[in-house]
Amino acid sequence: MSETTTIVLIILVTAAVTIALRAFPFLLFSSGKKCPPVISYIGKVLSPAAIAMLAVYCLVSVYRDQSFAAGHYGIPEAAASITVIALHCWKGNPLLSIICGTALYMFLIQSIFS
Amino acid sequence: MNRKNIFSKAFTASLPVLMGYSAMGMAAGILLAGKIPRPDIALWGFLSSMSSISGALQFAMVDWISSRTAFIDVALLTLFLNIRYAMYGLSLLEKFKGINFWKKCYFIWSLTDETFALEAESKFPDKKENIRYCFYVALLDHAYWVCGVTVGAIAGKHLPFSSRGIDFAMTALFLVVLTDQCRVRANIIPAVIGVASAITARIFFPVNNMLIPAMIMMTAAFLIFRKGLEKRLKEGAES
Repeated sequence: MSETTTIVLIILVTAAVTIALRAFPFLLFSSGKKCPPVISYIGKVLSPAAIAMLAVYCLVSVYRDQSFAAGHYGIPEAAASITVIALHCWKGNPLLSIICGTALYMFLIQSIFS
Repeated sequence: MNRKNIFSKAFTASLPVLMGYSAMGMAAGILLAGKIPRPDIALWGFLSSMSSISGALQFAMVDWISSRTAFIDVALLTLFLNIRYAMYGLSLLEKFKGINFWKKCYFIWSLTDETFALEAESKFPDKKENIRYCFYVALLDHAYWVCGVTVGAIAGKHLPFSSRGIDFAMTALFLVVLTDQCRVRANIIPAVIGVASAITARIFFPVNNMLIPAMIMMTAAFLIFRKGLEKRLKEGAES
């Protein structure tokens, strides 16, 4: 099999599986069929839980990629995360919180914790 | 609210995703061009990012292509890597009920972690405006990802990369959405369960494989504590 064929097939397989997963709840519970109460309950509580999980996941990924090898004990991550949350509780402006937190993080790991 | 206003709201909300996706997308594109050196690699970067729009998958795919992984393995790995997308749709069913078929198809196609976070948070009082906003968010996020990967694949190894740490924007986005959601009291315990599941999963699994066990754990916790949590949801809806 040529490399081009391999690339095309891998793109097709990954896209098909990914899109099928995304479509799954819509195909199963949309037209006419009522969504079982347990599923709609899970859907409601899952939203905040999944976001909390992804926050932790991103945090540990960033820590692994940027800080782990340098041995900063996650200080830049902790400082930037606290800044984001505190700023957001105070001002409630998402963009402001994200830009300030990210700028602080970039500054920390590129200068003080480099 | 007119289209222009909604678009500018969507664009502002998606700015952190722009930073995150362009940085991560470029990194994935650079990796792709580095590992599979062919003149037309930018085209494949474009097509692959266009079709699956999935961060971790985009990185994993590079290895699968260069090591010619069997297609059944590719399918299974993709399934495990992205099974969380099947859960996201559940919390969007209500929101996307009764909308145009093609629009719904596009929402399904474009459902990434970050797009989900922004769509789940959108709260225009008018349903039409809400859908329009979500559509712009999905389209913008999709464009950022495709552009990031394609530019990375074109620039390849010759890019002087000085934006170290910009990937924190993605973490910051989730923290902001989480902070907002925790203002609703009924969301606090589910969020705590989410954090606890993620930390427990990280203790027993490497970072790349932690999401599925975390999802299983939190779903189990939700089923076990269903009575109490549902009571809180109802109380929240009444007050």
